[in-house]
Amino acid sequence: MSFLEVKDLQVHFPIRGGLLNRKLDVIRAVDGVSFRIEQGKTYGLVGESGSGKTTTGRAIIGLNTITSGQVIFEGNDLTENKNKRLDVRKDIQMIFQDPYSSLNPKKRVLDIVAEPLRNYERLSRNELLERVVDLLEKVGLTAESILKYPHEFSGGQRQRIGIARAIALKPKLIIADEPVSALDVSVQAQVLNFMKDIQKDLNLTYLFISHDLGIVKHMCDEIGIMYKGRYVEAGTTEDIFNKPQHIYTKRLVAAIPDIDPRNREKQKQFRAEVQAEYQHSFDYYFNKEGLAYPLQSISATHWVAMPEGGS
Amino acid sequence: MEAIKLDIKKEKKAHKSQTGLSILWREIIHDKLALISLIFFIGITVTVFVISLVLDLDEIVRVDLFAIHEPPSRTFWLGTDYGGRDIFGQLIIGTRNSLLIGFIVTILTGVIGVTFGLISGYFAGHLDNVMMRILEFFNILPFLMLVIVFVALVPKYSTVSFSLIMTAFLWMEIARIIRAKALQERELDYIQASKTLGTPNWKIMFGHVLPNLSSLIIVILTLNLAANIGLESGLSFLGFGFPEDTPSLGTLLSYARNPQTLQDRWWIWLPAAILIFLLMLSVRNVGEALKRATDPRQRRG
Repeated sequence: MSFLEVKDLQVHFPIRGGLLNRKLDVIRAVDGVSFRIEQGKTYGLVGESGSGKTTTGRAIIGLNTITSGQVIFEGNDLTENKNKRLDVRKDIQMIFQDPYSSLNPKKRVLDIVAEPLRNYERLSRNELLERVVDLLEKVGLTAESILKYPHEFSGGQRQRIGIARAIALKPKLIIADEPVSALDVSVQAQVLNFMKDIQKDLNLTYLFISHDLGIVKHMCDEIGIMYKGRYVEAGTTEDIFNKPQHIYTKRLVAAIPDIDPRNREKQKQFRAEVQAEYQHSFDYYFNKEGLAYPLQSISATHWVAMPEGGS
Repeated sequence: MEAIKLDIKKEKKAHKSQTGLSILWREIIHDKLALISLIFFIGITVTVFVISLVLDLDEIVRVDLFAIHEPPSRTFWLGTDYGGRDIFGQLIIGTRNSLLIGFIVTILTGVIGVTFGLISGYFAGHLDNVMMRILEFFNILPFLMLVIVFVALVPKYSTVSFSLIMTAFLWMEIARIIRAKALQERELDYIQASKTLGTPNWKIMFGHVLPNLSSLIIVILTLNLAANIGLESGLSFLGFGFPEDTPSLGTLLSYARNPQTLQDRWWIWLPAAILIFLLMLSVRNVGEALKRATDPRQRRG
């Protein structure tokens, strides 16, 4: 039994219009996504904007309604009985993309970090204060900050307040939705390394959603690449970066910038090759609607979206 | 732990100046007109409520045929009306009644409107749809006509029941504004975050969304207070407000419908007219200053 297993997850958004607001069509934001995460590992979900990676994360935690499919967390199907949700929420937490809008501007840091504790644990005032100070120290903020308001902090500090809030209930799984994309590059590393540290300390599992391949390579053990709501390729970090099979993955990997000027020509040539391959093999990799085919296993850890019988 | 507690007190002082309420307050301090208006309004309110404690209403509204239409004198500071009743006493009691109605209606419409709008906007979807149709139903009701019917149906009504009937038709505008704001607010990440943290919906609505709308609510309520005082006076002037034995600013003003009173006996209606004008103007000045404060680009302070 795996820690988190997502089976054929579909999230559709209705397009309403016409007379009486009828449902005209659906947008298939997530269209049959399956993956599994082992405890203590980091799973990366990569894709361009609009590929459905954030929707997948939000569907797992329950912010988006799941149209069909299963989300099995520690053996419990989260889609089955809604009553169980509240208990599971304690174990699944989320770090949000935008540290500016994810903290209530009218609340002090104390109230922000204490919110989950107040919901689930009955603590006295002093115990609560102690826990909050403890959490803040864990994320590298001083005890004095508990009475400040969010706007008094920098972006990196705010994101760390968000992380403190997410780890307050000692969750097992954290869904990190582009946790650093709103941050300055110099602060990104700081937050990411910190996330790695607490992963070891608290035995956390991450579902790491990002569009930045460099970060994903740094953080993740396994990666899934999404395109238009479907998986195009999944495998270990090694598989994806060294042996990309799908043309979409190849293009992504080719797009990673190389700062060494000596490789400039080589890089340019490589990109041109990939571009040429993309142009003549697009029909092979994508079906008539421009969507990816179902995944096929090419090794024990590596799956690629290929047409039936292709290699 | 002790050190932290000590810090709390110190920090509280240092960070108090950042809240929305203090921005509103600063704007009023910087706008001299609004500050004077606020002092004037509070002054009038306190004076009227204190003096009306001393005055005896029965004494004032008792008809005295030997003192009809007296001009201002030492015994009757502002003269008397056609029943020989003291105008000054009526003015004080009347202002108190008008202000009381203004306050009650504003607070009641505020509570109903904010709750309705918050629920509608926060949950959105089907519930919002149903609630908005209910609101629109109230919106199309002819306010004036229904108040007239009410006055005709209920022979003896009090400040409270009159306030209730006004409230029934005046909460919609607030509800709409709050709903629009709540719809905006619910999409923000911090609301989503609260949901993932397991906070119940009612707590998110009143504990998270509401504080973020507080300055807006204060502005709307202040501006509505001025409107409600005016509305009550208007209704009483038309004869659909309070009866004569419950004086209000409007009933005093309505004496001016008599051409002779209008021309020769200024002391009956002029003070009330000036007071209505000044009260509404001052509340409005404060309201406009608060409104400016909610938009950082218009702020003066």
